[in-house]
Amino acid sequence: MRDVVAVTNLSRRFGANAALRDVSLTVSRGCVFGLVGENGAGKSTLIKHLLGLWRAETGAVKVFGLDPVSEPTAVLARIGYLSEQPDLPGWMRVDELLRYMQAFYQRWDTTYAEQLLEQFGLNLGARIKTLSKGQHARLGLIAAEAHRPDLLILDEPSSGLDPIVRRDILEAVIRTITDEGRTVIFSSHLLDEVERVSDHVAMLHKGTLKLCAPLDDIKAKHRRMLLRFERAQAAPPDVPGAIRVDGAGREWTVICDARRMHGAAMARHLGASLVEDCPASLDEIFVAHAMS
Amino acid sequence: MAAPRLNPSSGTPLYLQLVEHLKHSIATGAIRAGEQLPSVRKMAEDLLINPNTVVRAYRDLESEGIVELRHGSGVFIRESVSARTDLMKKAEPVIRSAVDRLEALDLDEDDIRRLMENELALRRAARPRRKQRA
Repeated sequence: MRDVVAVTNLSRRFGANAALRDVSLTVSRGCVFGLVGENGAGKSTLIKHLLGLWRAETGAVKVFGLDPVSEPTAVLARIGYLSEQPDLPGWMRVDELLRYMQAFYQRWDTTYAEQLLEQFGLNLGARIKTLSKGQHARLGLIAAEAHRPDLLILDEPSSGLDPIVRRDILEAVIRTITDEGRTVIFSSHLLDEVERVSDHVAMLHKGTLKLCAPLDDIKAKHRRMLLRFERAQAAPPDVPGAIRVDGAGREWTVICDARRMHGAAMARHLGASLVEDCPASLDEIFVAHAMS
Repeated sequence: MAAPRLNPSSGTPLYLQLVEHLKHSIATGAIRAGEQLPSVRKMAEDLLINPNTVVRAYRDLESEGIVELRHGSGVFIRESVSARTDLMKKAEPVIRSAVDRLEALDLDEDDIRRLMENELALRRAARPRRKQRA
């Protein structure tokens, strides 16, 4: 089966708030799927549907071809999940937690877990509540990874963590992917990290899927152009086909679809000079779509 | 071979940055003809980038005749590649003097990099399209 995840027309409201609006996407086996969006965009809500924590109100969610709500054991046995604040019991010791986790997963690899423990410098006898934030995250990572899940889901795992822990998390993503047939969903607002490792990126904004495409395509498609006018413009210049126009006075930045716009011609048409014409960063693309 | 500093948010795609770094390492003699490059997996893990990016870079180098993929053994620098050390040695002082002069104008690193990238981009845009690789 090629699609590990298939979400079709998924919508979800929490009271008056539309957390997800008609979201459809698929995640292919073997890819690193980056999920980006501001806080409250719906990323975690989407992920919770994949974990079977929410039932689809409208639309459908399939993981490994199964419904995670009606077949939780079959689905969750093959998923490794790490969230922003891994809820590990503070009173347990590291070794106790890993023994506890092992009971849930048939495919738990003790040697691999031990290898990771050593690599991360985690003390088997330490009580979880005494661990630093970074060590806590690393332990959560071992718990998510040691059974070599077919699908590793990381929901903002790097929030508030130092660069070394963030490295460990990225390494786990790469390690998972180089293992044949395993897939990663990586939700993060650290776009730099998403850009490094993702094959495919989906962008949520206020519950709507704004973009969903291979990362290479997204980057090839969006350009940033800096226009300079002779005289200050009172209002944003009208640039047909631009995704976003931003600026003030004489200088205006245009984020546009590179295939539909020829920068120099566009500048001439507006009576401005094209000062810069370069690929847009994921950050700029994100902001442009969020504000459009 | 020094680890490249890859910048995912620069205008250049990651795989191209890697290709350029490897070409530079070869040209300066940091990697020699006949040497083996790290496996896709090792490279991806060391650089923290998607393995597909490494694959693409290696394939690019292969199609340019710089490396060969030996089935079962790995990726090797072709014997026919000679270090263009002399050429690079001549180029380095040119760059150094240009940067010295720009710094004397009180431009900082970001300014200088931006100017260089703009200049190269303008030249690239002015060049006739290279023939498509199969």
